[in-house]
This record gives sequence, C-alpha cells and structure tokens, in this order.
Amino acid sequence: MAQTEKYVLNMGPQHPSTHGVLQVQVELDGEKIVGAKPVMGYLHRGIEKLMESRTYAQCVPYTDRLDYVSAMNNNLGFCMAVEKLAAIEVPERAEYIRVICAELNRIASHHVFIGSLTNDLGSATGMIYAFRDREKILDLFNIICGARMTAHYIRIGGVAADAQEEFLRGAQEFIDYVPAMLDEYDRIFTGNEIFQARMQGTSIITRETALKHGMSGPNIRASGVDYDIRKIDKYGAYGKFDFEIPVGKQGDNWDRYIVRLKEIQQSANIIQQALDNMPEGPVMAKVPKVLRPPKGDAYHRVENTRGELGFYIVSDGSTKPYRVHIRRPSFVNLQALDGMCQGMLLADAVTAFATIDPLMGEVDC
Amino acid sequence: MWGKGLIAGLRVTWGHWFGKKETVYYPEEKLPMTERFRGGHLVLDHKKCIACKLCAMGCPNAALDLTVSVDEDKKRHMESYKHQIGRCMYCDLCIEACPVKALSWDKNYEGSSYFKEDMIYDAVVEAKNRGEQQ
Repeated sequence: MAQTEKYVLNMGPQHPSTHGVLQVQVELDGEKIVGAKPVMGYLHRGIEKLMESRTYAQCVPYTDRLDYVSAMNNNLGFCMAVEKLAAIEVPERAEYIRVICAELNRIASHHVFIGSLTNDLGSATGMIYAFRDREKILDLFNIICGARMTAHYIRIGGVAADAQEEFLRGAQEFIDYVPAMLDEYDRIFTGNEIFQARMQGTSIITRETALKHGMSGPNIRASGVDYDIRKIDKYGAYGKFDFEIPVGKQGDNWDRYIVRLKEIQQSANIIQQALDNMPEGPVMAKVPKVLRPPKGDAYHRVENTRGELGFYIVSDGSTKPYRVHIRRPSFVNLQALDGMCQGMLLADAVTAFATIDPLMGEVDC
Repeated sequence: MWGKGLIAGLRVTWGHWFGKKETVYYPEEKLPMTERFRGGHLVLDHKKCIACKLCAMGCPNAALDLTVSVDEDKKRHMESYKHQIGRCMYCDLCIEACPVKALSWDKNYEGSSYFKEDMIYDAVVEAKNRGEQQ
C-alpha cells in the first residue's frame, strides 16, 4: 500500500477563507488534517500600549478597531469599565440607546458570520443576501452617529448624541422586517441540503472542551453551555428585558450556525422592548472635561458578539490609564481550532474557520 | 426528498429577479450623506476660529498640525491648519472640542488619492479659497 508523507500547508495570511490575516499551518496526511496551528500577529497594532498615552476619552475610538464589525459593543465595554472606575452614573435613556445600538450591531455582526460562512461553503449568492440586510443596520448607524462601522458613538457617561426620530423609526422598521428576513434565510440557507451535509456532525467541540479552553459567546453556547454575560451580570439596562439564550446540542458547525440565527431573533426581541419602553431624559452624564479617575483598577466584561469581552483598566490617578488589558473573545476561542480540525478533511477546515468566527482585529489587538 | 431544499432556495433567488434594485449605479448616482456623517475634509470657519488649538489637543492620533501667530494686540490667528487624512480616525473629537463651533465636515467621502502628499491639506487655505477672511 502506498504511503504518504505528512506535510505542512500554509493557509493564509492572504487567503479569502481565513477571515482577515489569520495564518493557519495545517499539517496534512493526504487530505486528512492531523493538526492546525493558528499563527497570529499580522494585524497587531499595539492598541493596549497606545491607550497608555491617550486620555480616557481618546481611547474610545481605538476600541472601534478591535472587533471592527461590532464596534458598538467594544465602545460599550470600554466605557462601562471607565464608568466603573470613575463611579459615573449613566442616564437611563442613554442605557436604552446603548442596548439598541449594541443589539443592532450584534445582528449586523451575525450577518457577516452568515454571509462569510455561505461564501466559504461555495455559495457567493448567499453572502449578498446577508450583506444586503446588514446594510440596513449600517445605514441606521450612519444616521445616529455618522459612521457605518467605526461608530465611536457610545461615550464615557452616555452616548454622543440623542437618537433621532428617524433612527428610532428605522430601527422599528428593521425589527418588523426581521421575521421575513429569517424566513428567507431558512428557505435559502437552512433548508439547503448541501449546506446541512457540510455542517452537520463536523468539527464538534464538546461541552468539556469548550469549558476547558475558556471559550465564550455563541461558540460555547452551541456546545450546550448556557453562558451569557447579559444574563449573568445584567449590566446596563439588560436586567429590564426579557429574552432567552439559545443553546446548541452537540457543538458541531451546524449548532454554531443555528445558535447565531436564533440570537438574531432574541436581539430583535430586546430591541423591540427597548423601543417600547424608551424613557425620556438626558443622554449624557456630567463627566468632567478632564477625567481623572481615582487610583485603583476596574474590570468590566460585556457580552460581545463573539463572547466575553473584558477591559481591565489600572488608573494611577492621572488623565491617562496606567495600563489597559483587553480580554478578547476571538483570541481565546481560536484555541479550539486545532481540535476542531483534527481528523477532518482540508475542505472542512474552511467551515471550521468560518463557524469559530475569529476576527483578526480582535485576535491581534 | 433530497433536493427539495435546493429548489426552495432557487425559488427565493428567482423571486428577486424582478424585485426592487438594492444598489445604485455609482458614480453616476450617489447616495446622500446623513446629517451627522463624519468624513472628508474639515471645514474651518475662519471668522469664528479663535486659534485655541483645543481641536489639536483633542485629537488622539496627532492628525492636526496647526500654526498660530499672535499679533501686537495679543490676538491669536490661525496661520495654517494642516489635516493629515492618513492619520485621521474620523472620531469627531476635534469638532466636539471646538468651543466656538468653527469646525465641520465637508462630507465628501471620496477621499482616496494616488499620492501621499495629497492626503495632507490646509483648511485655512481652503477657507481662503472660499473667500473667507479672518
């Protein structure tokens, strides 16, 4: 019988399926994967270090560039950590607007997930459907803050400006459209037999493995772990809303897709409740122009689109943070890639890259 | 039956064949920018500007390079207002820092250029070209 030698194949950093500048060294035995080693650092900009030489308010736009497809959630995480450090009370209306923006951004980010996943599985048309709907949300962000992706809308003490009637009306229209949108996704993607065959039972992450790796977000929920910071910590206004946490069964690629699809529905529920009960009032707390939080440290975590995003800030009492550390969910989740790829065919590695949904801006930081 | 889902998916695609167009024919047709849109060149209202340099101090990325002169009445004048687009994050902090609201965006999103030098412009020169005098 013919013997083949094991060899290493470099996928990326310039490969359309590795979602940014991720390089994966895949060790192959024939077409079977023996091991996959992610190599990162191609998008390292030193954001943590840059923040040490910026004032607290100046740090916020840098957080847009971490997970650049869900900038609002990053803004929220950093601002809440600073608010915790400086004991700033945020007005209620601002909390509601923050929730609406963060959840809209979660939906937009899941659109990127669905779009890139279908594209990686060979259906370029599928991507256009998801991106068409994502555009509706980006247009709403353009109305409320003047930027589509790098929002810099959520600020320390509240939000940059009040939500206009046009934005709230647009958000309501989008929420009304969500059931029809999900129905269309079900008909075009979920029901597709090729899509199912490629995803079901492939790249399984067991509950134990997911917990061992410290995974979070939709990836760990797909493995059957009921873990959502929005429910556990009830930060901001999340304690006031009623929503469910979709959980998967066996942690395969299919579950990771289904969990995200169901999360879109839950995010729409949260936005609807926030729109219905939106209080009136100011949107910005009284924050001094030159913010000097007291000496000490604070850690705050939020449920980002990709998992638990935490900001640890140390203050020395000056206008600039002494040290900022960012706990990035994509970076931690990427550890599971090796186990996901082992024993799979090379073509399935692309599906694994897509469903683990790493974002290199966040991985490299 | 295997293939039923595929046909259902194709039906969705066919359904859009005669549907509404989602895109526009750029550059013949352009979408209007929103009121809060952040992008393009900074428009400096030369009459309002008090040359306090708070905008440059607010910039996180040192994208603004300003030259200020003081006359015999100790009045400050903005001589040059260099904005390096390549460094700009369009975060709006300069505009928000302005105490006299002398800054705004021109909302021209077509900011790409062939040469690096074209990514630096002087807002004072542009204000003078518009016919504004301090």
